[in-house]
Amino acid sequence: MIYFLKKFSLILLTFILVFTLLSGVVLAQEKVIKIGTLFPLTGSCALAGSRCKAAVETAVEVINNAHPECDVPLAAQEGILGGYKIVLVHADHQGKPDIAKTEAERLFNQEKVYAIVGCYNSACTNPASFVAERQGKIFMCGCSSSAALTERGLKYFFRMAPTDKTESIEFCDVMEWMNEVKGTNLHTIGIIYENTEFGKHAADEGKLAAAEAGFEVIADVPFSPGATNMNSEVQTLKAKNPDVVFGACLGGDYTLWVRTMKQMDWLPKMCLNYCTGYQDPVIAQQLGDDGNYFMGGTGYSPEFADLMPAVAAVENIYKTKIGPSVPFDSDSIQEAVATFILAQAIEKAGTLDYDKVSETLYANEWDSPLSMGGKVAFVPGGQNAKAMSMMTQLQGGEYKRVYPPELATHDIIFPMIPWNQR
Amino acid sequence: MSMFFQVTIDGLLTGMIYALVASGLSLIWGVMDVLNFAHGEYLMVGMYVSYWLGFLMNIDPLISWIASGAFCFILGILTYKLIIRHCLAGPPLSALLATFGLSMMLKNIALNRFSPNFRILTGTFLDGKKIIIGNIVLPMPQLVTSIFALVVVFIIYYIIKRTRLGWAIQATAMDKEAAELMGIKTESIFVLVFGLGGLCVGIAGGLLPSYLAVHPEVGGLFGLIAFVCVAMGGFGSIPGALLAALLIGLVEALGGFYIAPVFKYVVVFGLYLLIVMIRPKGLFGW
Amino acid sequence: MMKGNKKKQDLYWYVLIVLLILIPFIPQVAANSFTQHVLILILLYASMSQAWNIIGGYCGQVSFGHSVFFGIGAYGAGMAVVRFGLPPWPGIILGALLATAVAILISYPCFKLKGHYFAIATFAIVEIFNRLFMVWYWVNGALGLDYPLVEVGWRNFMWYTTKIPYYYGALVLFIIIFGIVRFIEKNRFGYYLRAVREDQETAEATGINSTMVKLSAMALSAFLAAFCGAFFVQYNLRVDPTMVMSLQVSMVFVLVTILGGAGTLFGPLLGAMILIPLQEYTRVLWGGLGRGTDLILFGFLIILIMVRQPKGIMGLVDEYFNYKKMRKVISAESDIKY
Repeated sequence: MIYFLKKFSLILLTFILVFTLLSGVVLAQEKVIKIGTLFPLTGSCALAGSRCKAAVETAVEVINNAHPECDVPLAAQEGILGGYKIVLVHADHQGKPDIAKTEAERLFNQEKVYAIVGCYNSACTNPASFVAERQGKIFMCGCSSSAALTERGLKYFFRMAPTDKTESIEFCDVMEWMNEVKGTNLHTIGIIYENTEFGKHAADEGKLAAAEAGFEVIADVPFSPGATNMNSEVQTLKAKNPDVVFGACLGGDYTLWVRTMKQMDWLPKMCLNYCTGYQDPVIAQQLGDDGNYFMGGTGYSPEFADLMPAVAAVENIYKTKIGPSVPFDSDSIQEAVATFILAQAIEKAGTLDYDKVSETLYANEWDSPLSMGGKVAFVPGGQNAKAMSMMTQLQGGEYKRVYPPELATHDIIFPMIPWNQR
Repeated sequence: MSMFFQVTIDGLLTGMIYALVASGLSLIWGVMDVLNFAHGEYLMVGMYVSYWLGFLMNIDPLISWIASGAFCFILGILTYKLIIRHCLAGPPLSALLATFGLSMMLKNIALNRFSPNFRILTGTFLDGKKIIIGNIVLPMPQLVTSIFALVVVFIIYYIIKRTRLGWAIQATAMDKEAAELMGIKTESIFVLVFGLGGLCVGIAGGLLPSYLAVHPEVGGLFGLIAFVCVAMGGFGSIPGALLAALLIGLVEALGGFYIAPVFKYVVVFGLYLLIVMIRPKGLFGW
Repeated sequence: MMKGNKKKQDLYWYVLIVLLILIPFIPQVAANSFTQHVLILILLYASMSQAWNIIGGYCGQVSFGHSVFFGIGAYGAGMAVVRFGLPPWPGIILGALLATAVAILISYPCFKLKGHYFAIATFAIVEIFNRLFMVWYWVNGALGLDYPLVEVGWRNFMWYTTKIPYYYGALVLFIIIFGIVRFIEKNRFGYYLRAVREDQETAEATGINSTMVKLSAMALSAFLAAFCGAFFVQYNLRVDPTMVMSLQVSMVFVLVTILGGAGTLFGPLLGAMILIPLQEYTRVLWGGLGRGTDLILFGFLIILIMVRQPKGIMGLVDEYFNYKKMRKVISAESDIKY
């Protein structure tokens, strides 16, 4: 022990030396704007995270280089502010809030990024955006869906996607519309959700919206994500037999849930999904016929081409980054929107001053061909007031627009076709 | 009432799968006293093997479990040869730490190579088939997996109890030095045990893709439950692990249905605590 | 000789403390908040693991349940600030006391279990607590508690722009916990602990009440772990069950200690000094690639260390000095020969 203690200070000093050597060397480059991305690139949300990262890369590719084939702002010119190029610094928060905070601090302090785009998980966006706010720097959030994020009154925080709250209200609207127009008698709701920050939030908003619209929530089924089976969850739903199910199950849990319902030979009359496995085109494709007739709010899908004609060209670039068979999904496209809007605001403000850019962001209504509705405008708190999503239903493996009626291309198939008649 | 039977049967079917995963762990643990944290990741590897065989070559999981089993058998042997063997000299926890590192590596190699996509095998032979008796639904994929589980667990049990090899394994588990003096090559026994442990979990992994999505994180909860099964059954006791796994499956299903789905694992872990309070060495431990 | 050694050891301990106090004055450290972050984590994880070391290393009861105590401490501070709008201090104290009580309540029956049965039981306890906290409405369940913006300073133990005070906070924690263990190591209680670890029956035969010893070790360990949890929350300004009360967190306690060398005073510090920079810098360098490269490497290095020296870094250090001593002896012998 004594021998060792003797050397201890030496070891310690070596370590400090190593730290200082390793810690970031800031390169003084000209005409470069550094932007950080912060997504879950490992862990259980890695799939969504890697797609979001690729979407941001796509947007930067379009902004930095001349892409006349893309009909989006900033595509024709090279760079912004008269030749400034955006350079991305990627970071991984692994789905953990503490790491998200650390990485946000590192991106700002060590990497000297101008702004951060992130974080997918609402639980991670929260601490990371606080870091930005305290330093008076801008945080662009694409798709984190917790409504609470934009109710904090932050000045430098901007979110593109519709929230759980908007979606929940839309779900209830759909039910009311069905009752009025089609004379369906929908009354009871079951909610199945993963018991995490995301799922709990969605479920709480769902319950609020249901209560306001006068529907009755008769089954409240949280489950632990990454479950080995979902038998008891589905059995509980089956026993309560609600008319409509609101689902908030991500990725693997979503497929397990759908397949378990098939085994148990049960379906509600209608099934509405939050931003979850339902919107993942790859999962929809893999589930094949089993995935049909489920519904959900969708911000983008390849079938929306006639609504959003500008997306296709950008999507081609995206596919070179992530893989040929993966189109944009509702989540990742919002991260691309976030990047575009930030760049447009910098361009318009004509400066990198944070307050000016933030004011510009609030003051204008932005053209955003990648968003449904084509416009983005922020209200205090940073929520995109023009955010909208559309109800789709998977029919024959494709996302068909079914609600609101003025934009719908197909009728809702109601009730869902039972398993044994497919 | 039919709901009760249905839930019970679901629980038992789930339990069988736990038993197959746990039997491999029980073997390793009982003989070598090593906590293998990478056990759930073996399962994940087995599932990927089966998935890729099905996806690229259209081989049904009903056949490709052989390949998954063999693959995990080799993986187990490699784990022992390259890692565990060197850790046995230190305190018992160092093997645990090393397998923890291994589990992290396997998980992220899968992430690196196969991307985090959730992958499902569709159109397999058993997909969507089921037997309906009265009001009770017996899904075929789970049923077949359970039958496999029973057979494999029985074979392992038979090997341990009735063959010379099994006696050698038992002897090694009881007293390594004495076994060596009796001329048992304990080193080979260890290698074999690790291989067999991998084989069991590999077979389970081979069959699961017929109804479960494959992704890098899939092994986590299975591994955890396997730990509890083994400890509840009593270390090294295969019938103990089987009984414990069935109990866990049953309690999970019933607790999940009659209490609340979110509490199903609370009930499982609570049951373990209860049982070891009454029998500190597990159900079949001595 | 013994006395000289002890004095010398005291001296090194104080030198270490002074060095640690002076670190933030190094200009490179003062300018780089990420280095500060890594240093804070090293001190915090070393302290956490030292708390675990009392029961897991010295007393030999491998507990995977420490994230429960860590979490209760964390929630103590979090609830005080978020729910009641108080400074965290009363919450920290209450959390620590509560953690101690919980530790005694759950360990008393569990100490009947031996070896792995005990380990798995603590495992199960973490899972139960995690899932209960996930649905416990009063502590905000899965949503977690997010800190509001409050005044910075020692009163609230919260700073937004600087990390230096956090560093000194962690240092205080470190000095207290390491000081306690240093004291115990030389004390009668320390010998009891090791006696129980080596052979419980023999220890009891010599008149040691092993249950009492284990219980008090667990209580002390939980009490200290709860303080670390409170610090963790104050540092991250958010708490949810997965962050503080999960098997992953429990593994950190065990990993750091074993990597450094269980049952040794400086093992936890060494373990943290290796593990944390490894974890943080691999993430910084390769995490952004998004293919888990950093974690593959991290896992691989853990395996490598364990395969090379199963006794942990302390084992490596011992090996090194033994080798030097041997060399000295050999060279002395050869001197005589020729």
